[in-house]
Amino acid sequence: MSDAIVLRNLVKTFGEKTAVRDMNLTVPKGSLYGFIGPNGAGKTTTIRMIMSILFPDKGDISVLGRKSALEAKDRIGYLPEERGVYKKMKVKDFLLYMAQLKGTDPSGLRKRIRLWLDKVELPDVDNKRCEELSKGMQQKVQFIASVIHKPDLLILDEPFSGLDPVNMRLLRDLIYEQHKKGTTIIFSTHVMVQAEELCDHLVMIHNGDKVLDDTLEGIRARFDPRSVVFEPLDASADVKRLGELPEIASVRRDRGHWELGLTDGATIEQAIQQVTTAMVPLRIEVNRPSLEDVFVQIAGTAEGQEELRAQVRDESAVTVG
Amino acid sequence: MDKILWVAKREFLSTVATKGFLLGILLTPVIMLVCGLGVKYMIDNQEAPRVEGEFAVIDPTGQVFEGVAEYLRPETIAARRDDKLQLVKSGPGGAALQFAEAVSGEDIDEGIEKYTELALGKVPSISTVELSAGVDLEAEKDLLRKGSGPTKRLAIAVIDEDAVTLADGSKEFGKYSFYGREGVDDRVNDELRDALREAIVDARVTAKGWDLDEIKRATRVRSAAVKTVTDEGEEDSNELFSVFLPMAFLLLLFVSTLTSGQYILTTTVEEKSNRVVEVLLSAVSPMQLMTGKIVGQMAVGLSILVLYSSMGIGTLIFFSALGKLKLSLLFYLCIFFVIAYFILGSVMAAIGAAVNEMREAQTLMTPVMLVTMTPWLLWMPISQDPNGTLATILSFIPPINTFAMLLRLTSTAPPPMWQVWLSIAIGFVGVYAALWFAAKVFRIGLLMYGKPPTFGTLIRWVRMA
Repeated sequence: MSDAIVLRNLVKTFGEKTAVRDMNLTVPKGSLYGFIGPNGAGKTTTIRMIMSILFPDKGDISVLGRKSALEAKDRIGYLPEERGVYKKMKVKDFLLYMAQLKGTDPSGLRKRIRLWLDKVELPDVDNKRCEELSKGMQQKVQFIASVIHKPDLLILDEPFSGLDPVNMRLLRDLIYEQHKKGTTIIFSTHVMVQAEELCDHLVMIHNGDKVLDDTLEGIRARFDPRSVVFEPLDASADVKRLGELPEIASVRRDRGHWELGLTDGATIEQAIQQVTTAMVPLRIEVNRPSLEDVFVQIAGTAEGQEELRAQVRDESAVTVG
Repeated sequence: MDKILWVAKREFLSTVATKGFLLGILLTPVIMLVCGLGVKYMIDNQEAPRVEGEFAVIDPTGQVFEGVAEYLRPETIAARRDDKLQLVKSGPGGAALQFAEAVSGEDIDEGIEKYTELALGKVPSISTVELSAGVDLEAEKDLLRKGSGPTKRLAIAVIDEDAVTLADGSKEFGKYSFYGREGVDDRVNDELRDALREAIVDARVTAKGWDLDEIKRATRVRSAAVKTVTDEGEEDSNELFSVFLPMAFLLLLFVSTLTSGQYILTTTVEEKSNRVVEVLLSAVSPMQLMTGKIVGQMAVGLSILVLYSSMGIGTLIFFSALGKLKLSLLFYLCIFFVIAYFILGSVMAAIGAAVNEMREAQTLMTPVMLVTMTPWLLWMPISQDPNGTLATILSFIPPINTFAMLLRLTSTAPPPMWQVWLSIAIGFVGVYAALWFAAKVFRIGLLMYGKPPTFGTLIRWVRMA
């Protein structure tokens, strides 16, 4: 079997609220999947069901070829969204304990813990109590706890939340490293930009429904807005005039630039040539849909758009990259 | 299985290897010892107050007063106490006294005098006055009121005319009336009434023309030995031991169960509020986690049990009194500990998983604490009648059955074997039920944050799971 995770018709309700509705999903081995969607969409509930921490009301789950994650726990690494450490425990004891619980071969384990701590740039903390560490440092320790047993499947629930840009980059590199080794990785985030930069395949969840399940390229092709972003060199130029060109169907002002919609049948090349001839550009580029746009397009109604955008944008966080 | 043991090991070490635990466990006996010595010191330095005063008797029969006066002479009182002392020393309580002598390392006679004095009060100095039959009783009673007269009157006794000899045609002797003073020690009043009783009986016997000494000899029965014949031989009946033993066992069971149960609650709440619980659940199932925690804390409870019991056994060996302790009782103690602990521990684990912080646990803890307190309330009725209906019924209701059965087993009238084993069987059924309940609440509660749950919520979770 070549699929790491297979979910079939998964349903989970909490009282009145349906958290996950009829979810079907296949995650092939070795892939890097992103679960995206705003907070409360059902990402964590889906992940918890994959981990057998919650049990679905209906549907089947297969994890690493087993009927339930319980049978494959030792081959899975999991960094939950609700994560913590034993405050009074020493860092190395905590990691040792977690590794033991995962049934890791004890030989060389201490050395491996030390190597990992060096790798996440926490070389001198092994004898410190966890409570002496900052939140970001604790998060790195928790990441080690999720990979120390060399899992085949790594599930990271909002791994970047609360990290500064430097550590985000560090963590991103570590996730890539695991991916290169062949580990199947699922990671969830409500910040679309992070998913855009990390994953090769995206699953979008909204109000308990899977609304998108495709590669980044596929999504971009599917949701190609067929438009060009344009800024004239002469700021006072009458851009609206461009609407008269046969290739341009619409002209719209959008956040400091203009968006020129293409007519059916017109190609990007033709449009760009015609526009640059008609007006000298400061900037002209093909409009690539952001995940945020895609999400808003799928989920949104016209009036709630800004609210939806706010939910999936992490204003405080700097882009990973 | 390995995972359960890893969880148990961490649970045990993180509880035991803390300064707080070690201090608590080792300091408790030290504090108890210090308290004991403190009380002894205070008793040693306490002077029993001497009662002084006058006892007025109106004796129309003319045959009672002499006896009362003689009975209350300080020398007679002292001699009577001495007699009693000798009796105690040679009687069945003697072993206990020798035990006490060995423990305190003091001369037993001196010690006993001290303690008898404390128990009975110093030998009172009472002067006895006879009032004539025609005296104004109301005026005399005024002397009993506070702040009246130069000498302190303790009481007045009015003896009926026919108290010594039967009135014509009557089958009942006359009585006496006793008017006491407010605030006089009961022990003094008892002494006075004993004097009246003794003097009246003596007077009646003498009036009949019987030989008083002979009758006194005839009514005095002494026991040379009080022993319990058992399968193994003869044993001294030791009242001190039979009171002390059930209490010690009850205390051991109580302390060990409650301490470890409390730890389960704290560590579970801590794991939940630290949010470490989901990290753990990525490696172990909720059932493994709960079992591991329960096993780990059971080891803590057993350590306490073993530590304190070996202290107790050490004391018994030191006084060569180990033979009095049936080893089978220790076996039952362990079995009942396991039952009581598993029931309490799993309920505590469930509560710990259900709440967000310790403060919220208090409301859910109240009914649990009430149940654990019941054995102390029922201790007296059970030990007084170890095979009565109440004791028998309680022996079959978990988790109280553990405490009730242990009390009955350590009593002087142990219950029949089938009851013990039935109680153990029912106990294990209780353990199963508690684990079943706890497992469901534990699994659901661990990831529930927010509104503190009530018992109703817990039951709904059980039905949900």
